[in-house]
Amino acid sequence: MNSFTFKNRYLDVPKRVISYFSPEVWVVILSIIFAVGATTYYYLHGYIIAYGDAESHLNIAKRVVDSLTPGFAQLGGIWLPLPHIFLIPFVYFDFLWKTGLAGSIVSGIAFIISALYIYKLALLLTRHRGASFFASLIFIFNPNILYLQSTPMTEMTLIVFFILSSYYFILFLRNDKKIINLLFAAFFGFCASLSRYDGWALVLMEAGVLFLFYFPYRFKFEAFIEKFLDDDSSDQIQILERKERISGPLSWSRLEGRLIMFCTLAFFGIILWLAWDGLILGDPLYFSHSQFSANSQQQGWLARGELPAYYNIFTSLIYYFVTSAETVGFLVASIAMVGIASFLINKENRYRILILLIAFVPFFFNVITLFLGQSVIFLPGVTPITFDWTLFNVRYGVMMLPVFALFSGYIFYRSGTLGKALVSSLLVLQCLLFFMGFSSVLALEDGRAGLSSFIAKIPDAQGWLEENYDGGLLLTDDYARTISIVRLPIKMQDVIYIGNKPYWEESLIEPEKYAKWIVMQKNDSIWKNLIDDELKQGRLYKYFNKAYTSEDILIFKRIADN
Amino acid sequence: MKDKFAIIFIVILGIVMYGLTLHGDIGNPTVGEFKDKLDQATNAFELSPERGRYIHIANMADSGVYNLSPEWGAVAYPDVGISKKGKINSYFAPGVAYIVLPFYIIGNKFGLAQVAAFSVEALVSIITLIFIYLIGRRVFSLPKPVAFFTVLIYGFASVSWSYSTTLYQHAFSTFFIVTGFYAVWRFSKNDSKYSWVYASYVWLAYALALSVDYPNAVLMLPVMVYFAISAFPSQKVMGNVSVSIRWAAILTFIVFAFVIGLQFWHNATYYNGWSSLAGELQKYKPTTITSDSLATTTVKEKTAIGFFHEYRIPNGFYVLLFSAERGLFFFSPIFIFSLLGVWHVIKKKTANGVVYIVPLSLIAVNIFLYSSWGDPWGGWAYGPRYLIPSMPWLALFVGVALSYKQKFWKILLACLFFLYSSAIALLGVLTSNVVPPRSEAILLPIKTYNFLHDIPFLLDNKSNSFIYKVYFADKLTLLGYLLSIYVIVLIVVFIMLFMLYNKKDE
Repeated sequence: MNSFTFKNRYLDVPKRVISYFSPEVWVVILSIIFAVGATTYYYLHGYIIAYGDAESHLNIAKRVVDSLTPGFAQLGGIWLPLPHIFLIPFVYFDFLWKTGLAGSIVSGIAFIISALYIYKLALLLTRHRGASFFASLIFIFNPNILYLQSTPMTEMTLIVFFILSSYYFILFLRNDKKIINLLFAAFFGFCASLSRYDGWALVLMEAGVLFLFYFPYRFKFEAFIEKFLDDDSSDQIQILERKERISGPLSWSRLEGRLIMFCTLAFFGIILWLAWDGLILGDPLYFSHSQFSANSQQQGWLARGELPAYYNIFTSLIYYFVTSAETVGFLVASIAMVGIASFLINKENRYRILILLIAFVPFFFNVITLFLGQSVIFLPGVTPITFDWTLFNVRYGVMMLPVFALFSGYIFYRSGTLGKALVSSLLVLQCLLFFMGFSSVLALEDGRAGLSSFIAKIPDAQGWLEENYDGGLLLTDDYARTISIVRLPIKMQDVIYIGNKPYWEESLIEPEKYAKWIVMQKNDSIWKNLIDDELKQGRLYKYFNKAYTSEDILIFKRIADN
Repeated sequence: MKDKFAIIFIVILGIVMYGLTLHGDIGNPTVGEFKDKLDQATNAFELSPERGRYIHIANMADSGVYNLSPEWGAVAYPDVGISKKGKINSYFAPGVAYIVLPFYIIGNKFGLAQVAAFSVEALVSIITLIFIYLIGRRVFSLPKPVAFFTVLIYGFASVSWSYSTTLYQHAFSTFFIVTGFYAVWRFSKNDSKYSWVYASYVWLAYALALSVDYPNAVLMLPVMVYFAISAFPSQKVMGNVSVSIRWAAILTFIVFAFVIGLQFWHNATYYNGWSSLAGELQKYKPTTITSDSLATTTVKEKTAIGFFHEYRIPNGFYVLLFSAERGLFFFSPIFIFSLLGVWHVIKKKTANGVVYIVPLSLIAVNIFLYSSWGDPWGGWAYGPRYLIPSMPWLALFVGVALSYKQKFWKILLACLFFLYSSAIALLGVLTSNVVPPRSEAILLPIKTYNFLHDIPFLLDNKSNSFIYKVYFADKLTLLGYLLSIYVIVLIVVFIMLFMLYNKKDE
């Protein structure tokens, strides 16, 4: 038997290189490299605006600054406005709008900040730099998030505010004397609530946790308090202080004061949005039950019997659990679940239940919305193959990625050398499984071939119009997504859509008044107005020639003399 | 009871139990005897996996080549493909056929070719039982009655019984994994002049495991990682890490290279190239199956790993562990105790944790791999046959659970679960493995898709057992035969558990 000695000095050079920057800086460097690399890759492969929604987000932002009727009213009343507001400075430039890179910039920045704050959040829970770095690597290496951070989709915007708000909230739980942390949590909660509706659940949960944190329900359980406090700290002075806080006369007033302070800012976003919908669209709850709302779309699936999780809590749990587990990869999900169990049973973790309640907000939110029929996920392997589609909205699973990353880092921290090696190997193996195609990059697959995809069903009409469009205003029902505006050689000022008052309304009565081109799809608003109505149909044919015909799509061009 | 006596008893018990339940019939089956005769339920070749392997053996013995004649190809249908060179082969890895061939030839001389071929499975299963006992005693440090009980669980309270008496790959895979693990453990102790022998055996077991079933390349990886760690032991010396090299582990790689070289030769000769696998052959349809004039092939390119995908895991996981069709805990609830054993191991945090981590990894890899497989049901099969390689380890963790705080209620519960599991295992091995998945069963007149499917066979005295058919069919009902065997198992189990309970204070 021979042997060699691996001397510590062999590691001097790598150690010197690593210690050149702090772990935080390394996280930022790595996340920038991966963000830029992924965006470049997806840009070259044409996947940045693969989702139909991706283009819609770009167009909403573009119309605010550059359309027939520019202005903030173009933000609409269904999708929350903050991601679109972030896009505005970038979509102003046509190149960034048409390529979708405007969205890549916004999502990319959100990705980098998210990676950094996952590191910081893990450090907060573990005080272990290696484990925290590992947690951020889980996030950075995930191909689903790498894809989404290269697109204009709104998930990344929510994730960053979700992480930031959670970070400062947990920081506050650890030391409630620093009110500034609660204010930061509220502010980022406010931002989250204006990014996606998941953010509403976050601020609600944070308010609930704050209530639980201060509510003096424990004063009756003296023995329990003693035990609870003993578990938390051995510092007797701190124990007394906390005991005073928990059961003392100040607790009610603290609860009241801090809850009001938090809610005033955190819920302001929600109130703003309700007011916006009320003022602009005449119904504060327009987003929840208008014809364009997700709820209305789900009714179609329900009518077809293809809403499997509807009022079925078990199926809802299965759907979201499997979606999130497949998004991070089953190996990493397994690591994380062990981490969650370990975190939960370790009594040294202060406020572990409260922290888990915050962390699991995306899970609760998605399960509840699936259960109530407010959202739908179709996932291969879970959705019956008899359904029209088996891949849809699977990107919702990425909302759990920060949680899985965090608790993977936690189990790394809790493991011995062998355990750390095992956990690291599983991460490498999971990356390999993604690379080999054994694990699907679900978010990308949905964009490429799922129901969310636009590029999977680009109609011939798109190509025809790209070749034949020769300027002039174009009337189209944007909601029907008949054609892709960013892919056409057309300016946003030349598009008439439902948000261009009074152009839209007048065009549906006198189509020749503004438009040179009309693109319509069977049963969209234009079709219903101009084809189904015989009188208007006559007018349409009087002023327009049918330039393109397919089974579902008609394109009209105004007769030159008119 | 000394370990030596325990092993002798295991051998005797194995011979008796496997002997009484071995599938088969007298005679040397010929091509014409398969269709609508031997390929029917409760006959020796009731399913294509055993047919597919057996006919290669028969073909090799007859013609000296592995690939099949069109007549034998028709017998192997539907698990049969054709190479680009026009050679017809079954989709199964060739290892089992090569290993069993000598036994077939001997049996052929006595008119018992099929029984002799199948008996190899029983033989390797008995050796596996011995090594489970040894691992239980020496590696897991289980008390003797508990180690013996783990043997009984794997052998006679799990569906491994059904696949130890017919010609499948599972008994071989389990054998190589279990013996490979034991060899690595012995190698890692580094206390004997036989290190070279152990290292050679580990490589040999890995190569042969690959030859009997390709997924064993992944299934056995935890053992090979353990081997690699043992080959490069390290320790901290004055802050530096000193890594040793045990050349025995490296130089004996030649054993692996040799056997894999033979496998490559086989692939090149009979399939589409040295790296081509049996499962990648294009589908072959014999002329007797279609009305077309000649055999036809499909054009879709097949890959060996194409059937594995992560999105299948949720369904596969459910089917393999919990479903009423094939669920492990449904067919063999005794394994529920293994969860308790794993919990004890995690809580105990022993210094020698690697001997538990490797089996746990083996189980995890097995479940992960076959959950992601396109057909976790294993076609028409009895129980979760793809989990058989995990069953020795699960049984050992049941042993861990029982050896920790031997309370009466725990032993009683284990006994009850064992009785249920063993009865189901015995029903399967005595009747038939031809149990459809639920999706197919609902289209059939008998809509059962688990062990209930075999009850009519039991009541009609239709058995797969060679001994029953030849010696007892006209003297005893099948139910009587089943109960007789069951009583033997019960007596042994009660003795073991009684011994365990009486030794609890030791």
